[in-house]
Amino acid sequence: MNWSEITVHIPFFGESIFLTIDVFIAWILLIVLVIGAIVYAFRKRKFPVIRDYLYTTNHRKVGTLYMIFGFIFFLRAGLDALFIRLQLALPNNNFMDFQLEKYNETFTSHGTMMIFFAAMPMLIGLMNIAVPLQIGAKDLAFPFLNAVSLWLFVAGGVMFGSAYFLNSSPAIGWTGYAPYSTAVYTPGAATNFYVFGVQISGLGTIFAALNMIVTIVRHRAPGMKLIRMPLFPWASLVTSFLIVIAFTVLAIALYLLMFDRLFGTSFFGGEEGDPVYWQHLFWFFGHPEVYVLALPAFGLFSDIISSFSKKPIFGYPAMVISLALIGFLGFMVWAHHMFTVGLGPMVNTFFAVTTMTIAIPTGIKVFNWIFTMHGGSLKTTTPMLFAIGFIPSFVMGGVTGVMLAVSAADFQLHDTHFVVAHFHYVILASTILGIFAGLYYWYPKITGYQLNETLGKWHFWLFLIGYHMTFLPMHLTGMQGLPRRVYTYGSDEGMTALNFTSTIGASLMGVSIVILVWNIWQTNRQGILVGDDPWDGRTLEWSVASPSPEDTFTPMPFIECTDPFWDAKTKGQKLKTAPNPRPAPIDEHTVLPFLMALAVLVIGFGLIYQSYLTAGIGGVAIFALFIIRSFRDEHTSFHKEGARHE
Amino acid sequence: MNNTDAALFKDKKMGFLIYLGIEAIMFMVLFMTYTIFTPPTKDPFPADIFEIKTVVLASVFLLSSSVTLFLSDKYLKKERKTPFIIWLVLTFLLAAAFLGVEINEFASYVQQGYTTSSNVFMGAFYVLVGLHAAHVVFGIGWMIILFIHHIRKIPAPLFLSKQTIFSYYWHFVDLIWVLIIIIVYVPYL
Ligand code: HEM
Ligand SMILES: [Cu+2]
Repeated sequence: MNWSEITVHIPFFGESIFLTIDVFIAWILLIVLVIGAIVYAFRKRKFPVIRDYLYTTNHRKVGTLYMIFGFIFFLRAGLDALFIRLQLALPNNNFMDFQLEKYNETFTSHGTMMIFFAAMPMLIGLMNIAVPLQIGAKDLAFPFLNAVSLWLFVAGGVMFGSAYFLNSSPAIGWTGYAPYSTAVYTPGAATNFYVFGVQISGLGTIFAALNMIVTIVRHRAPGMKLIRMPLFPWASLVTSFLIVIAFTVLAIALYLLMFDRLFGTSFFGGEEGDPVYWQHLFWFFGHPEVYVLALPAFGLFSDIISSFSKKPIFGYPAMVISLALIGFLGFMVWAHHMFTVGLGPMVNTFFAVTTMTIAIPTGIKVFNWIFTMHGGSLKTTTPMLFAIGFIPSFVMGGVTGVMLAVSAADFQLHDTHFVVAHFHYVILASTILGIFAGLYYWYPKITGYQLNETLGKWHFWLFLIGYHMTFLPMHLTGMQGLPRRVYTYGSDEGMTALNFTSTIGASLMGVSIVILVWNIWQTNRQGILVGDDPWDGRTLEWSVASPSPEDTFTPMPFIECTDPFWDAKTKGQKLKTAPNPRPAPIDEHTVLPFLMALAVLVIGFGLIYQSYLTAGIGGVAIFALFIIRSFRDEHTSFHKEGARHE
Repeated sequence: MNNTDAALFKDKKMGFLIYLGIEAIMFMVLFMTYTIFTPPTKDPFPADIFEIKTVVLASVFLLSSSVTLFLSDKYLKKERKTPFIIWLVLTFLLAAAFLGVEINEFASYVQQGYTTSSNVFMGAFYVLVGLHAAHVVFGIGWMIILFIHHIRKIPAPLFLSKQTIFSYYWHFVDLIWVLIIIIVYVPYL
């Protein structure tokens, strides 16, 4: 079968694009799905709801949108993962046209989308939903900016996602290594999609982090000192600092790469440029990024474990300090991704040691989770199952991490499936299990309903088994030398059974995701309201109505201890109220954030196809929107009643 | 300012200061890039193309614009409108003059054939100093909007907050220029 011979040409910014058969099918599926969604929305009269969400700046609704779009990109990137696994299922396999360049495109899309457009947004979504409710804030500090962040992420994701449909997926790996990513080796639109897609959504992420910091520092309920704050907000705070530093460095790295690609500089290639400089910049972002993914999950597991053990978290101060320590050390280890570059034994030793050091605060956390459960009355609800599944799985990923930190060993293991196994172990155990746990845990706060527990447990077990089945064999194939980013292997290499097992595991995960989707569908259809406090929780979010109303915390509670809601419940009292809470951020109903992101999307497409006229139009639009915003921001309308400037 | 104004203004100040921290990191990386690749191994060399006159002229304009903005702020707080607007207009003019000098400098380089692709030093120079110049352009646009808000007579506390945020921005842009003088120009003059 040679699918790629059937092609359709469509003009696009003066370029014509080969429409291979798989892309053609994808187009048809997309169109059917979109039409289906529109018809559904029409039948069920959902347009007012859609409009409401398009205009919203409320933290729960913005968070929900983050979750929805993040989940869509998760499905897309998961599909890529399945294609990768199908191609690798058998030796010398030819699954559709997923060989050679197409394979490169597939793992690049998979990695980039999972990290930037699935995992991070869903975590930020959970932060948006839960953090204000947990600290007694009425909203994020800057609701408008929050909506801007959301739509920038969506714009970046849609842009990156559209590359496949235009048959110009980037094929440079999620790491975008130079000089391959420079215009000399990958000219044309494909790599530009990587540069601008990640850049745009990265901007949104930076703003989201800034917002989160101000919210946590300045909008806590009266009496909620930092040391009384639940651990998820703590983790979000540390994470936000990591984002602010790491993503900014990435932004400049991409800015330089953009100049290399479009405007003739040669920082990362050519006779003067330095490809290793790209690696330094990228990994100075890239390593903290894995903590950006992991720390929020640590925080949310801490809250969940404490909730369902009916005990306060063990060693709260140690938990906070280790979060901060991990965040700090995270910036001192980046060159462990570059052991084989040839930086020299001293450099390698330094980075090997710092890397191993991180195991210490992480170990502290693991023991504290276990001690929290020890002697508690455990309730094995679905969120708790995910938390319990997380601990040993994550530790396994951590152990292989320390193995890779031995720089001598890394020379052998580098760029093999051992590394693929390692980072999937840590990321899936922390981030993905964490996102699922958070979704089940806070679903009542998002919708008012509780996801079905039986289906939830099916989801958990299938996913956990599938996950170990997929990635455990990769340690072995990796040690046997199966290189990553290579689309096949020989039948005489003795890896067939292991690889086939991996592929079966991946399909089990796929099935579990179908169960999750079914669960969400059923739960929403049945619509059984479960009340404010279905889990018998400990922290403030369970004291407000479900789903959380737009005006929360009226009256404002006064906090005197950690786990205030639990404390009040056990004493049979109501939460004390604070007489004079600080003024709330002003909520708005505005489509400007959406339009701003749209303008940025236009600029991005203009630059991708080097149609500077298009980019210019987008540029004018964005500045016009800035000005409009300046003239009708929420403070102005707020002041309409007040005195005039005279 | 009433209670709500004051609290929201503090939020905004903190948020904007963090934003400037982000910008500072961005410029730090660009300064690092510049120092890594300068001096270059091939023509053009910074010592051959930088001119003391331009740097001094640009600096005088931009640095004094910080002083005039400071004075403008002072009179705004004292609610003395005439001196406030005069100093703000002066700030605007100085910024425009700085921009003129910059455009001139860039144009003369381009005329001599020194573009982003000449060598990696020129590239690093343009992405750094160019980004700074873009900030100045943005600031000039921002001042125009401030004038309009002033004429519209928006509520006083709101105007004060807008002006304060702008002056944070402007002083930051100035600070970056000082670093540009020290790191980009002075070693090669
Ligand atoms: C859900 C099941 C998943 C499966 C079956 C899967 C499978 C794979 C495989 C086989 C590769 C290696 C491709 C190769 O190097 O030849 C890969 C790469 C990668 N995966 Fe996954 N993955 C999954 C989920 C995730 C998640 C949740 C994330 C992150 C949030 C992730 C991030 C990555 C990254 C960053 C790469 C590296 C891409 C590159 O080499 O540029 N994956 N995945
Ligand atoms: Cu790392």
